[in-house]
Amino acid sequence: MLFVGPFFALFAAVIVAPLAYAVYLSLFSEKSSGLGFGGAETVFVGLGNYLDTLADRAFTDGFLIILGYCLFYIPLMIGGALGLALLLDSGLARAKKFFQLALFMPHIVPGVIAGLIWLYLYLPGISPIVDLLGGVNFLGGDQVLGSVVNIALWEWVGYNMIIYFAALQAIPAEVLEAARMDGAGAIRTALSVKVPLIRGAVITTVLFTIIGSLQLFTEPMVLDNVSDGIVSTWTPNMYAYNEAFGNNDYGQAGAASIILALLAAVLSYVVTRWGNRR
Amino acid sequence: MERKRAAAGISGMLAGITLLAACGGGGSEPTAPAAEGGKPAEVTFWGWAKGTQEVVDAFNKSHKDIQIRFEEIPSGNAGGYAKFSNAVKAGNAPDVMSIEYPQLPDFVNQGALQDITADVADVKGKYPASVFSLVELGGRTWSVPMDAAPQVFFYRKDLFEKNKIEVPKTWDDFKAAAEKVKKASDKARIATFFPDDPSVIAALAWQAGGKWFGTEGDAWKVAINDEATRKVADYWQGLVKDDLVKVQPSFSQEWNAAFEDDTLWGYVGANWGAGVMKGNHAGQSGKWAIAPIPNWGTPASGMLGGTTFGVAKNSKNAKAAVEVIKWLTGSPEAWTARLSSGTSSGFPAIADLVPVAAKSFDASFYGGQDIYALFTESYGTIQPGWTWGPSMVQTLTAFKDALGKVSTGGTTLPEVLETVQTATVNEIKGRGLNVAQP
Repeated sequence: MLFVGPFFALFAAVIVAPLAYAVYLSLFSEKSSGLGFGGAETVFVGLGNYLDTLADRAFTDGFLIILGYCLFYIPLMIGGALGLALLLDSGLARAKKFFQLALFMPHIVPGVIAGLIWLYLYLPGISPIVDLLGGVNFLGGDQVLGSVVNIALWEWVGYNMIIYFAALQAIPAEVLEAARMDGAGAIRTALSVKVPLIRGAVITTVLFTIIGSLQLFTEPMVLDNVSDGIVSTWTPNMYAYNEAFGNNDYGQAGAASIILALLAAVLSYVVTRWGNRR
Repeated sequence: MERKRAAAGISGMLAGITLLAACGGGGSEPTAPAAEGGKPAEVTFWGWAKGTQEVVDAFNKSHKDIQIRFEEIPSGNAGGYAKFSNAVKAGNAPDVMSIEYPQLPDFVNQGALQDITADVADVKGKYPASVFSLVELGGRTWSVPMDAAPQVFFYRKDLFEKNKIEVPKTWDDFKAAAEKVKKASDKARIATFFPDDPSVIAALAWQAGGKWFGTEGDAWKVAINDEATRKVADYWQGLVKDDLVKVQPSFSQEWNAAFEDDTLWGYVGANWGAGVMKGNHAGQSGKWAIAPIPNWGTPASGMLGGTTFGVAKNSKNAKAAVEVIKWLTGSPEAWTARLSSGTSSGFPAIADLVPVAAKSFDASFYGGQDIYALFTESYGTIQPGWTWGPSMVQTLTAFKDALGKVSTGGTTLPEVLETVQTATVNEIKGRGLNVAQP
């Protein structure tokens, strides 16, 4: 009890309390009347904010963006990180420490800074790359999703790679030796022996990646100022932000946040169950 | 410790002396609030306007009874307003907040500001009615105007002269000039359409005689798609479609880079742009000039920006805050300090202060042009009767979201007006306010 005390104290202060406050806020709405110059009063609306939020196309469209983002991002991310980890783990790699560090480095950069760095690389007139590629519009309506995926990949591939690499290092040498004795080549060993053995790590990262994707916010928020393709409610998290700080509707923002949190909880449950059954 | 206390005692005594002096001065001076416990009253102030630090320093140097604690925050739409709303909600808002004209009704609706009608009744007469009416909502006064923002057109005098392009007087001339600029240099354009800054469209609509909002009894009238605004939208849609203007985010690196490599020859802006241009493109000093904003036949202007100062609802220092606001907006010392900073070309909303401003701003960047005479002329043509709506933050965001697709041809400016009109009416109704729609 003594040792878990600090954990529960912090858990209550930084998770439970804000969550409870968000639920509380989500049940109220500010209403004015007439021209509104008499100020606003707070009224209890029950689940009204939830219904309004779910009925709002701007909110639900955000999930379509997230879906497109996941379809694009998750295979690239997992494939890329796994490929890099297997390469580092294979006998082929030289300067392993250097590459581990180099690939992990972008993850140390905070999301806002990463967004700003890439913003400069995407901006026509500033970016050396845009001119080199003959004026590709990275920030246009159709391309911007790819540009956001690219930033996320840059930030996260190294991180997931480290997790896979650590798992690969933990595979007992005798298993790999047995594979070799049975005549499996390097590629066969990688795909049929190593990958199945680190399945747990892969599932964990898929789970984190999905939840992370649902919370997509920082990178598109930074690009929002210059991109034609990103609107203020592009992702559900941006919707919540805009409701709270653009429209001053804390109730609706609370409702949107709670819906998002519930969805993430359900998804986590599904992915873990699915992972354990295999 | 001892020293500090002694210092506080002395400043307390000084505060007492100034108080006496103020009373002795004929009684017309408003009584300064008593400094509690010998310490000067502290007024916290959030703002972002250029030159504000210099103004605050000047105030603090010349006042013993009140001291301003200035915090520079991001400009309103870049996060400053969100910060303020949040602080009001959390109960730790500053005493004095900068609020631009469009967003004032929003904050009054939220109940974020104090009614200061009685406290500022004595300065009301110094302002033109068309400006002061923007800070009077529901018959009460909620903030005090600092500057007005008449529209003007900045252009590269050297390049216009070299290519024999006349400075456009009307919007028809402007289009013809735009074609000439493009002909003179394939990459050059006369100006920029800012897809991220709908306040420019608002100002242009205002200039054309549009009225986005109005009230009818206790109901709002919303007409973002009125005839004048549609005319403006059609016009700019044409410029974008014919590739006669650049499409770039406002104040972006991209935009600044285009000035630097001589591919952008003009800027449809307002008076305060003079300080911005001077600060960002020092190397082009002497090459720029300012002209009245092109018009639709008779000289007219809208207002693009402009800041007011309000007192936050939970301020405990309201009396001192109002004193600070009056000084910031209406004293020659404040305007001298602001414009001597070199970064601001603000235009005082109080006409009597214009000579002070004109004297303090170094216009050598514009070849010594008497730019304040030009601003004054433009100020005189600001169209009366404009009102800002109750949900401008939302309206401007809806605009910004929809405008993004204009450059790619995904939508047109006239279509955007319809989208924003619908979104705004829904938002206002959603807040429980009355909307009178035809």
